[in-house]
Amino acid sequence: MSDIIEVKQLSKKFKLKKPSNEFKKLFFPEYKTVNAVDKLSFSIKKGERVAFIGPNGAGKSTTIKMLSAILHPTSGSAEVMGMIPWENRQKLAYHIGTVFGQRSQLWYNLPINDSFELLGKIYNIDTILFKRRLSKLVRLFEIRDLLNHPTRSLSLGQRMRCEIVASLIHQPQVLFLDEPTIGLDVTAKSIIRNLIKKQALEEETTLLLTSHDTDDMEKVCERVIIINKGRLIFDNSIKALKDSYLNKKYLEITTDSGQRVKNIINTKETPVKKAIDELVQKYHVTDITVENPPMEEIIKEIYNRD
Amino acid sequence: MTKDSQKYWALFSTSFKQAWHNKANLSGILFFLFILIFIYNRLWEIIGIQDNNAHINNHFIWYLLFAEMVILSRPRVERIIFDDIQSGTMAYYLNKPISFFLMRYVEALGNMSVTFLITGAFGSLVTLFVTGAPPFTLWQFPLIFIACFLSAAINTLLFTGVGLCGLWLNSIRTLAMAVERLAFIFGGAIFPLSIYPEWFVHIAQWTPFYSIYYLSIKLVYDFSWSNLLTAAALNLLWTLIIVSFILFAYGKLSKKVNIYGG
Repeated sequence: MSDIIEVKQLSKKFKLKKPSNEFKKLFFPEYKTVNAVDKLSFSIKKGERVAFIGPNGAGKSTTIKMLSAILHPTSGSAEVMGMIPWENRQKLAYHIGTVFGQRSQLWYNLPINDSFELLGKIYNIDTILFKRRLSKLVRLFEIRDLLNHPTRSLSLGQRMRCEIVASLIHQPQVLFLDEPTIGLDVTAKSIIRNLIKKQALEEETTLLLTSHDTDDMEKVCERVIIINKGRLIFDNSIKALKDSYLNKKYLEITTDSGQRVKNIINTKETPVKKAIDELVQKYHVTDITVENPPMEEIIKEIYNRD
Repeated sequence: MTKDSQKYWALFSTSFKQAWHNKANLSGILFFLFILIFIYNRLWEIIGIQDNNAHINNHFIWYLLFAEMVILSRPRVERIIFDDIQSGTMAYYLNKPISFFLMRYVEALGNMSVTFLITGAFGSLVTLFVTGAPPFTLWQFPLIFIACFLSAAINTLLFTGVGLCGLWLNSIRTLAMAVERLAFIFGGAIFPLSIYPEWFVHIAQWTPFYSIYYLSIKLVYDFSWSNLLTAAALNLLWTLIIVSFILFAYGKLSKKVNIYGG
């Protein structure tokens, strides 16, 4: 499979005014440079579902904004579907979709259906094709009941489903999702994740998803790219991520008196069997659970190691 | 219709349809217009009687109506654009196959058209009742109507440019207010410029407001082909100047987009 996104040594620096008094700020402003993205390189194949994660200020959104033609980089190169995004904004627009969790692309006062129709016109979609496409997405994302409601009256979860449909209306080959589950409750998050994955599998859409929620990454994606301070620190499959950081196990026992004892063991130093034996000898064990550390812990550890 | 014009037409018609639902805003505008016509009618009645020149009242009230149609129909497009720039929303339209600026302008035009039509219809009835038949003939009406509608569209374009000044300014409130006040004075939006001293008219002639407002609206009581052509030519010139500024500002803006991630 060919690469649909190719990023080479991509960097983005922001020039920010240093805080000082108003007079100095106006006549003698001082600037500091922030490296939001620092020589980032990676590639993504067609149909891949990639999570792009990192702590706050790591450069995730900045990278997505460069790849989706919103920002110009300071240096380096990137190609999306063989096009340099910031040089082919209008042309690329027909092939990519974007969802920014904290921004809406729907018209606030318009019924959802009218927003979709406007987007259909904006993307020059033939009327018959548009109707067929919308009907499919409406069924897939279960939003038939929402079509006549204005955006302003929808809950965040409902709006997000509509936002994703809006970004898919022109059948993009690459979908950039920047924190699509931000602010959603557990149920809504789960629905959104399932729908994103289902659609991507059905239409072979390439996904690049940023999120602070590791569940988004586990449930939707097959590969993870982790960045910190603008630099790449991990790029592999989610399975490889788990395997390489699975030298920890969470061991929990329940005693006959109902007491719960939790232990974190390092399997390189103490084999699981030995740890269990020690606990069994020490307590009257009625139940025992051995678990891998949650993905959140793994990610935290990776950030700390960097 | 090309595919590009189809998308802007869709935006225009959606905004046009939406504007009809904004009943509270429209009612407020009509109420204000009614009060204005009433007050100015009293004012011109007194002046007209004193001057033994009663037709002044009729001319100037019809002039006032068309001036208010141009002024009141402008949506607050400068605020929308300024907010889009300040909040970074504008940047998110860069990866859509549409021009952000044209989109906002066309939406404003849809909104403007509805207010223009409603104030025109309502205002004409009130003015007809208050001061009698208009000073223009039936065949002149469509030409005057189109000239004033285009003036309203150029006026909206001018304020779109004011909104784009958000690129350099932290607030455009003062600028928008200054432009509005200058338009009132130099455009003769309160009183026709013919009642001002000559030196004042000479100054006004160098401003865009002279042709955008005064020359087009004056056709209401002083219609002639030469006046119409002068208004059209000068308005075309000012439109080109405003568009040049907008293209310059929009170009700067697109390059300066520097929104932060995260």
